Amino acid sequence: MRLLKKIYLGFIYFFLYAPIIMLIMYSVNNTRYSLIWQGFSLRWYHELFVDSGLWAAFFHSVWLGLSAAFISTTLGLLTCIQLFFTRRKKRRFFYALLVLLIVIPDLVFGIASLLFFNFSGIPLGFVSLLIAHITFCLPFVIYTINSRIHTLDPNLYFSALDLGASRVRALTQILLPLLWPAIFSALLLAFTLSFDDVIISYFIAGPDYNILPLTIYSLVRAGVTPELNALCTITFLISMVLVIIANKLKRVSP
Amino acid sequence: MKRLIALMILSLMAHESIAKAVVNVYAWGGEIPNRVIHEFEKKSGIHVHFSTYDSNETLYTKLKAVRDGLYDVILPSSYYIERMVQQDMLQPLDHSQLSNLHNLDSNFIHNDFDDENKYSVPLLWGATGIFYNQSLVRDPPISWSNLWETPLKNQLLLLDDSREIFSIALMRLGYSPNDTTPQHIEQAYQQLLKLIPNVKLFSSEGIQSILIDEDASAGVVWNGDAFKAHAENKSIKYLYPKEGFVLWVDALAIPNKAPHPKEAYAFINFLLRAGVAKQIGIIQGHAITNAAGKALLPLAIRHNPMLYPPKDTMEKGSFQHYPGEETVALLNAYWQQLKLAF
Amino acid sequence: MSASGFIGLLAGKYCCPMKTKPIAFFITFTWLSIFSFLPMLLILIASFLSKDSLNLVTFPFTLDNYSHLLSGPFANILLRSIAAAFLTTGGCLLLAYPFSYLLIKSKHQSLLLILIIIPFWTSSLVRTYALLSILKFKGIANALLLKLHFIETPLNLLYSNTAVIVGLIYTLFPFMVLPIFSNMEQFDFKLLEAGQDLGANRLDSFFRIFLPNTAPGITTGCLLVFLPAMTLFYIPNILGGARSILLGNLIQNQFLVFENWPQGAATSVVLTLSIVLLLSFYRRPPKEFVN
Repeated sequence: MRLLKKIYLGFIYFFLYAPIIMLIMYSVNNTRYSLIWQGFSLRWYHELFVDSGLWAAFFHSVWLGLSAAFISTTLGLLTCIQLFFTRRKKRRFFYALLVLLIVIPDLVFGIASLLFFNFSGIPLGFVSLLIAHITFCLPFVIYTINSRIHTLDPNLYFSALDLGASRVRALTQILLPLLWPAIFSALLLAFTLSFDDVIISYFIAGPDYNILPLTIYSLVRAGVTPELNALCTITFLISMVLVIIANKLKRVSP
Repeated sequence: MKRLIALMILSLMAHESIAKAVVNVYAWGGEIPNRVIHEFEKKSGIHVHFSTYDSNETLYTKLKAVRDGLYDVILPSSYYIERMVQQDMLQPLDHSQLSNLHNLDSNFIHNDFDDENKYSVPLLWGATGIFYNQSLVRDPPISWSNLWETPLKNQLLLLDDSREIFSIALMRLGYSPNDTTPQHIEQAYQQLLKLIPNVKLFSSEGIQSILIDEDASAGVVWNGDAFKAHAENKSIKYLYPKEGFVLWVDALAIPNKAPHPKEAYAFINFLLRAGVAKQIGIIQGHAITNAAGKALLPLAIRHNPMLYPPKDTMEKGSFQHYPGEETVALLNAYWQQLKLAF
Repeated sequence: MSASGFIGLLAGKYCCPMKTKPIAFFITFTWLSIFSFLPMLLILIASFLSKDSLNLVTFPFTLDNYSHLLSGPFANILLRSIAAAFLTTGGCLLLAYPFSYLLIKSKHQSLLLILIIIPFWTSSLVRTYALLSILKFKGIANALLLKLHFIETPLNLLYSNTAVIVGLIYTLFPFMVLPIFSNMEQFDFKLLEAGQDLGANRLDSFFRIFLPNTAPGITTGCLLVFLPAMTLFYIPNILGGARSILLGNLIQNQFLVFENWPQGAATSVVLTLSIVLLLSFYRRPPKEFVN
């Protein structure tokens, strides 16, 4: 039985990572267009390092993703904490609105935002992207943190106050540590949503802030260039390294 | 720590306010190579903000939906140039700022969508024809009608473009690809319904790998893509059907409210240089409109009939024109119906 | 002002019930109102306007856009999209539910969870093309099957509805796993022990204790998968060979190709409303809302 479970887990991970493995293989494949193995070559990595446009887009996306993730998570966290203490009726209404936002398809939201930015005169560029990304990340962040916050006993907070802690202290030393897994998940989720967003950004990106998904979307027109595969391989390796480091740190800290 | 942050912010602001000259270019993906852009930046000192689109419709919508001018140089297809001129979206070009304009092939100076380059400067052109894989197909399809035959069941790759595919059906019926008569279009639609069993997939992207890896054994593609595919798989053959074929041209233009018109002219003039045009022709694999540049191309490319068909073949080609709003709506409505028939 | 003071200002000092103003909540609410609801309102208004080729939308107000939906291919496309979304959601659920369970029981929970998200930091477009390369005629899948002698000639796996569903399941899998996992994590397994003490067998334990308690996670997961599955357009285009038109393609066509913004707006409004209706029928408020 145990073996069966391990096989099942292994199968799922294999299924998830198979395309990534293919990606890595193509990044060292010595051919431009064909998707069949033609020999080992590192020339695509070389071309990638020379292609400053793609790198600029990559860093733009990372910066945008980090900004959107931090802002939306902070705002979402504080909102959740406040909602935790408000009355049930108000909460249900707000949650219903959030559901509405999650339900709206990306496509529609992208077009609606384009209309809105046109209407309000906000220029298309980093500002419009950041606004839109924070907006679509917020409901997900609030949902994620909420699903955790409701398992907490509010009495923990109040008893801390009773014992003489200031409100800030009760917050930062009692609630936040308990919520930390949810906050972390929310950050990850928000960053992922922003970093990989194609459809919404498609409509509201401006000329002076190129982001990676859009650059990729237009490059694949001629077929996925191996440089893209090289870039994705590097992204993948960086994230793996980060995860391993984070895991080691968790073991080390008390 | 605070001082460090303040310093970083100041330096960021300073970088922005050095006020480098800038030009916003919005073009088809895969038509202007990065190398050319970098060369332009080095030689002129103007920084290029380069973004791409994947359809004329996206370009058109973006231009319409944004209030103030956003882009300086765009690269629409010929029939969209016609449309944009009709709607006053483009600036008339000041030829005194385009000293290299004479490099263009005379066929593209005196063309029938924008004669004398009043609003646009053609950059690349191509044709839509039939490709087939000679190791997989017994009888090469030499005319559009051959595509309807049963041995090609579930083998065809068609461009995902309503106008291109309707043009084929129209030409099969003996009409012009620019025909706008509703009855003829309806007949073309009926023809296309019969073609469906033969269609394996629609795609306007990633065509080379589909051809090279033999996922489709015949179909309708652009000559540039077939040319590049042939380089990696010699079984790929390409031909121009005898009923005629469609020619496309992508031309550079400057939208009305362009924020940096002077830099726009500098960019366009740079692309008109013979050496630059030659580079574009070699890197991107499409046919160039620049006669001076073409003369510099290696013989293998210059005389390749796939990219530069001989004169008598060229006579059978027709440029795409803008058929008017109603026809476009009709075509698209039929196209949607067609896809629902799968 | 120090960092903690600022946070305190936004939340710490003001979140006691009934006493003071919840600033962060107001900021969020205002933000969402301006940047989310206002755009949607614009779409709603646009859906009642008429098409105009020069300015995208124009007066007069009309209900034509909605009546066109009844007569056009919308119903057909909607049904197809629902079918595809249904299959995708079902597939994701079947795979993710046991997977989450195994994850909970394992010792490396957070690591395994993050391993699911990492692929998502490589562009989903590029991964879809990688999936394409696996399923191609001359791709790895066929090569493997041929080598193992399961088949004689390569299969046409690509450019079919199956390929599209596989692609959708692949792309949306984490959206099913994360809610189910975070909900299952709070499940008190002692309940199962208690049930067994009271005489329930394994099947009973599952259907009457485990399943109902993990239902909220299932519903959230299904919600997060079903909707994108209906409106993602690039996966059917790439893996399905653009042979079918689903809702995403239809809306995109209406806005970009037909340039009928009012029509596109009407379709979007109807889509959103029908989803909301669906939700209100089948969704019981999750446990956390009831408390």
